[in-house]
Amino acid sequence: MIDASHDIPAIALRGLSLRYGRHVALHPLTLDVPKAEVFGFLGHNGAGKTTTIRLLTTLLAPTHGAARVAGYDITTQAMQVRANIGYLPENVRLYDRFSTRENLTFFARLSGVQDARRRVDEVLERLGIADLSNRRVGSFSKGMRQRVGLAQAILHDPQVLFLDEPTSGLDPVGVRHLRQMIDQLRAEGMTIFMNTHLLSEVASSCSSIGVLAHGRLVFHDKVSAIAGYDERRLEELYVSVVRQEDAV
Amino acid sequence: MPDTLSPMARMATIGLRDAREALRDGFVLVAIAALTLAALVSFVTGAIALNGDAATYAQAKALLLKLGKDVSVIAAPELYPLKLLRGTVEQIEIMGAVIALVAGYRAAAAERGSQALALILTRPLHHWQYLAAKLAGGAGLAAVLLAVVFTVTGMLLPWVSGVALSAGDALRLVIAWGAGVLYLAGIYAMGFGLSLWARSPAAGLITAFALWLMVVLVAPQIGDTMDPDNQVAGGIYAQLSVPKAEQDRIKAGFALYETIRGGIEQASVTKHYERLTFAVLGIKDSYTGKPLGPILTEKRGDLLFLLFFTLGIGGVVLLRPINPDRLTKET
Repeated sequence: MIDASHDIPAIALRGLSLRYGRHVALHPLTLDVPKAEVFGFLGHNGAGKTTTIRLLTTLLAPTHGAARVAGYDITTQAMQVRANIGYLPENVRLYDRFSTRENLTFFARLSGVQDARRRVDEVLERLGIADLSNRRVGSFSKGMRQRVGLAQAILHDPQVLFLDEPTSGLDPVGVRHLRQMIDQLRAEGMTIFMNTHLLSEVASSCSSIGVLAHGRLVFHDKVSAIAGYDERRLEELYVSVVRQEDAV
Repeated sequence: MPDTLSPMARMATIGLRDAREALRDGFVLVAIAALTLAALVSFVTGAIALNGDAATYAQAKALLLKLGKDVSVIAAPELYPLKLLRGTVEQIEIMGAVIALVAGYRAAAAERGSQALALILTRPLHHWQYLAAKLAGGAGLAAVLLAVVFTVTGMLLPWVSGVALSAGDALRLVIAWGAGVLYLAGIYAMGFGLSLWARSPAAGLITAFALWLMVVLVAPQIGDTMDPDNQVAGGIYAQLSVPKAEQDRIKAGFALYETIRGGIEQASVTKHYERLTFAVLGIKDSYTGKPLGPILTEKRGDLLFLLFFTLGIGGVVLLRPINPDRLTKET
């Protein structure tokens, strides 16, 4: 039997837009991200990447258009969307006075995970941070916090994972570890939507990319469709599409 | 992974986390200790004065007996141990309120600053559930804080005053504790709400302080100053020997002015808390020794004001949606 649900994109945006009065934060955006893909969302600071993630994670309500995440409408089925997503914001710090385990147990319980204790142990092992489990998060480096942040995002085994600048401020070892983790999660069928402005990240992890400039999607394609898709080729492409948009 | 948690369980998870954090928060622990200490200092000062009165009476009585005179010519001092709580109540009014405001600010700022707010709001719970959990956490904190203060002072009362507390006294203490929880929970909600809504939590805290000072200190002072009877020591009517009937006739000519003045004076939630608590504990002389029932009937207006103040602010915090632009400390 053919699994028809496989054809439904994990993330589907249809003319999704957001305005603040006269200011357009996000122009109508139409985009599909198939299941088990890593989508890289590129753009300069202030292009609208975080706004898009906040819309898709139901933190913001769109002014026009619609979107479905994990098959659920972000406006009318926000609870179902939230139950099926994981989110790692940029510069996550969590609760400083709590240990890694306490932070993770709190978010696991809030997500409705049964046997939170066991699941936290699994995720700690998986991310190689079991040795940090009883240490207070307040004493952690940025890289360590980011790993704990990723742990809280995957605790409830979400279908779709949103990462906002996940490698920002990480050292090369931390970046490498995160990339390996992303590859593993994708292999297990998780869809990952990743905001970044690092082309190396896109070249190494993403299967498709979108480029956002001034709140408009100016490019969207499979990474493999870009001839010789190394970091340099991506850089040329990125600069050319952003320049075109700037000229407009 | 299936989601099996009920909304109440989610709210309890947030509330319990807040409680655990409060127990590790140096500010909260120092605040509890400081308020208890300040209450004890006021209480011990009152106890010394009471013991002084009792000793003076005992000396005078002994002297009269030695002289073979009638001891009924001197009145025995009134020994109402709950009257010693005047300072404790006054410390809760001011110091307790400042602690509640700052605790409300910290509850909002900590989650905005750590991005935890964004993480919580992307979990399957409604915004109002998060807000209700935070408000319940604040009320719980106020309940614990005041329970410590009233338990410590209540245990010391019989020892310091030499007069045992009756079951009725214990009930009065419980009512005073409940009124205090209402008062501090309302102020906590104000600090929390404004710190959550403001562009920066610090701006919210400053606004909350300004509002509190306005309502608690400035408004009653304005109302008090507007009372012509307060402009002359001993009262202007008494100094001019104006009879009561004439006073009422003069005041009737300024009915609107008196209504405005009364309204300004009545705006202070602290005044209502004080009036209710002073009456229930018999701190104000006119209520000392009076039965509880009539006091509660007479002071139901103050109780209702306190109730509406706290429920009103809590309701506004609960109903106002969280602005997504306020998810971080920087925005």
